[in-house]
Amino acid sequence: MRPTPPSGASWLRLLLAAIPFAALSVLVPVANRVEPRIFGIPFLLAWIVGWVLLTPAFLWTIGRLERHW
Amino acid sequence: MTGGAIALAIVAVVLAGTVAFALIGVHRVRMDPAQYIVGGRSFGTVLLWVLLAGEIYTTFTFLGIAGLSYSQGAPAFYVMAYGACAYVIGYYLTPAIWRVGKERGLLTGADFFGVCFNSRALGVWVALLQFVMIVPYVALQLSGLQILLQIAGYGAYPATASVCVAFIVLALFVFTTGLRGTAWASVVKDLLVLGAVIFAGIAIPVRFFGSPARMFDHVLQTHPQMLTLAPGGAYHGTVWFVSTVLLSAIGFFMGPHSWNAVYSARSGDTLRRNAALLPLYQGFVSLMIFAGLTAALVLPGLKGPAVDQSFLLVVSRYYPPWIVGVVCSAGALAALIPASALLLGGASVITKNVAGDVFGLATGDRARTMLTRVLVLVVAMLALVFWLTSQRTVVEMLLIYYNGITQFLPGVVATFLWRRATAWGVGAGIAVGLLVAVPLAAFNVATWGINPGLVGLAANAIVVVAVSLAADDGTRATSR
Repeated sequence: MRPTPPSGASWLRLLLAAIPFAALSVLVPVANRVEPRIFGIPFLLAWIVGWVLLTPAFLWTIGRLERHW
Repeated sequence: MTGGAIALAIVAVVLAGTVAFALIGVHRVRMDPAQYIVGGRSFGTVLLWVLLAGEIYTTFTFLGIAGLSYSQGAPAFYVMAYGACAYVIGYYLTPAIWRVGKERGLLTGADFFGVCFNSRALGVWVALLQFVMIVPYVALQLSGLQILLQIAGYGAYPATASVCVAFIVLALFVFTTGLRGTAWASVVKDLLVLGAVIFAGIAIPVRFFGSPARMFDHVLQTHPQMLTLAPGGAYHGTVWFVSTVLLSAIGFFMGPHSWNAVYSARSGDTLRRNAALLPLYQGFVSLMIFAGLTAALVLPGLKGPAVDQSFLLVVSRYYPPWIVGVVCSAGALAALIPASALLLGGASVITKNVAGDVFGLATGDRARTMLTRVLVLVVAMLALVFWLTSQRTVVEMLLIYYNGITQFLPGVVATFLWRRATAWGVGAGIAVGLLVAVPLAAFNVATWGINPGLVGLAANAIVVVAVSLAADDGTRATSR
């Protein structure tokens, strides 16, 4: 079905998925503080919103590497 | 005209316009069961994105995040975190489910269990549980709708009656248009909610404090603890946060109505693209946190369920009626669109898995579409009666919903990764998971700060493995 096999090792693709997932779950306690504030937003909230907005970049890259698009 | 009349008129016009827009979108589509229940498995990236955003972001997103931010602060951030985690899981999980649905012609979530474990009994068990979960979840949406209509009417009109009218219109709308109509209506809903969220999260803090950053200064001065989590196992502390994010992310695509949306995709890649793009919508929704915190400064002192109205009360007190009308329209659609997906999900499991698979009724195309349509109205009436008669138990029933949908996941994962799982193992696992999680949640039993649903999920997984190994009947789960 797919013309070419996925590029990048499979562990690399899984790592790409694991990074935003971990940042938004098990790593949240590490980011649990007010300073430094990012654009006035307390660090914890900035960390979470930032990673939510970065998640598409990670998933899109995986899709590219797996040749889904 | 009074403020209430203006705002309510805007809500009525928006709802009528949305219905009209969706009716135009679906006219001339021939309705067979696959078209009615899963959109003919033909939704492309855009329509599916709109539908998923439409049914995922409910009144809870709209009112609940602001309310939780208002009353507790940082614990509300979990809603942002679990959504994105759920899309990471969804990137892998939803195309796999979709493929089984496509190859085996599945219409419901219960079908998936019945077919993959080759057990009609398991399909019926899942169907009944999903049905029991749907009714209170629809009722919750009605409670949200009531708050919105009360505020839009400035308390001058009977909100319960308007909820009934709006909901009956909705049921007839689903009766006519099925899943495709819900997707088209979601276009209007998603755009309006986006507008309302940007207004709530940017314009309101700017008006009162000059900028969102200054708003945070004020929050930190008056409530220094509010924007970080309590450490460890404390109430709503970091342990609670992480376990709740994990639990909610796992349960995210297990909602009874989510299955219909997953099956409706044109291809697996459509679902992958959606998983990659939906976090962007999620990011915008985080502005509701800004709105809730602003309300905590502007209008402090609300307690109990009233906190969910906090940001709406700010809007109705400080802004003209037309803005109240537009914001409440967005909120009303955020209640009604998920409700319509839920009605369809509830009706389709009963038509297919109970009437069809158990009693051999309505198995032809025309009869099945007709029965699903009639059941949409029946489920709607049940939910309405449930809501009118037992508003207090809604909260308890919701514990079953949130803790319950997650319990379906071990069985789904087993079909792909552990084929020795048997129908008995999965069925017993779901039962034990519910029996552990729901009482723990209902009686607030302390589990070291860990979300009780996750404890139930662990028990569930152990039972699936133990029962499958102990009573190995030689059957193999098959996703092919």
